[in-house]
Amino acid sequence: MLKKLLAPGKKEKAVIEDLTRHIKLLYSGLDAFERAFRDKDRDLMASIIDLEREADVIRRDVISNIYEGAFLPYLRPRLCRFAEVIDCVFDLLEDAAYQYLDLVIDASIQNYCTQIAALNERMCEMLLLSFETLMGGGDLRDKALAIRVYEKKVDDIKLDLVRDLRNVEVKTFWDGKALSDFVSSLTSVSDIIEDASDYLQVINVSMR
Amino acid sequence: MKVKEFMKTKLAYIDADSTVYEAIEEMLDKRIRSLVVNPENAEEVYGVITARDVVFKVLGKGLMPRDVKVSEIASKPVVCIDQDTKLIDAAVLMEKLGIARLFVCEGKKLLGIFTLTDAMGGSLILIARSGHVA
Repeated sequence: MLKKLLAPGKKEKAVIEDLTRHIKLLYSGLDAFERAFRDKDRDLMASIIDLEREADVIRRDVISNIYEGAFLPYLRPRLCRFAEVIDCVFDLLEDAAYQYLDLVIDASIQNYCTQIAALNERMCEMLLLSFETLMGGGDLRDKALAIRVYEKKVDDIKLDLVRDLRNVEVKTFWDGKALSDFVSSLTSVSDIIEDASDYLQVINVSMR
Repeated sequence: MKVKEFMKTKLAYIDADSTVYEAIEEMLDKRIRSLVVNPENAEEVYGVITARDVVFKVLGKGLMPRDVKVSEIASKPVVCIDQDTKLIDAAVLMEKLGIARLFVCEGKKLLGIFTLTDAMGGSLILIARSGHVA
């Protein structure tokens, strides 16, 4: 049933390929962020901004193909929304990368941020598996649950991070704001990946 | 999948000469179920006090938490594993020893804690990755 609904024509295939590419690009971006943060590699961090632009192009292609008639009408808004949610994650990642370039991360929060960056990457890997499972007509339940487990872990680390962040000395209001914005962007990535996973579930259920 | 992907690195500590009352306060305040007990001197090793110790060894015996020192009920030494231990091996060790938490150590240094909940979360992810259905 799912395969019939999802892969009947050229336009649909193009959308599926683009969405897969979109998620894979996000996975690469999160992987690059994790490595850049861990190794303090500013050039690699700056490259994430280019990835975000590439992702924008893919999102536009997905949406224009859908508006040109790919998929049944009731599926179109959900698939568009899914692409937009993925794009939201890219926006957060780009914000975090930009903010990182202007910051000196205090040693007391370095480990927390590294852990969260690694978990974000793992969540995206699971989202990709989930999307591929949806395309193959499989059950998403275990993937969605795994994503929720990751999200809970990020939330736990976030609590400790925010608590310790209060002890980090900042010299000016803007330094403090940049640090706060960085932490906020980094820790929100997992929330939005979870939303994307929920959208996949909605698409899955609506096609039954 | 290795333990380091799932361990918690934030550990809460308490001194051995603190009272069990103080340990209860700390655990409730931080919403945790165990505290690492600091060594009393350089030759000593880390211990652990759990909610189970408090309930079974103090409250269940009708003792007053203010009258009992943490060192009197703490388990020592903590059970250590390497951060590269496989999740399944950690679970087997927990089952074998009948304990709910393992400490991730590097030499004498404690890096983190790996609990039953972490093991369950990890197992779900293993299932999701391998494509099996629970």
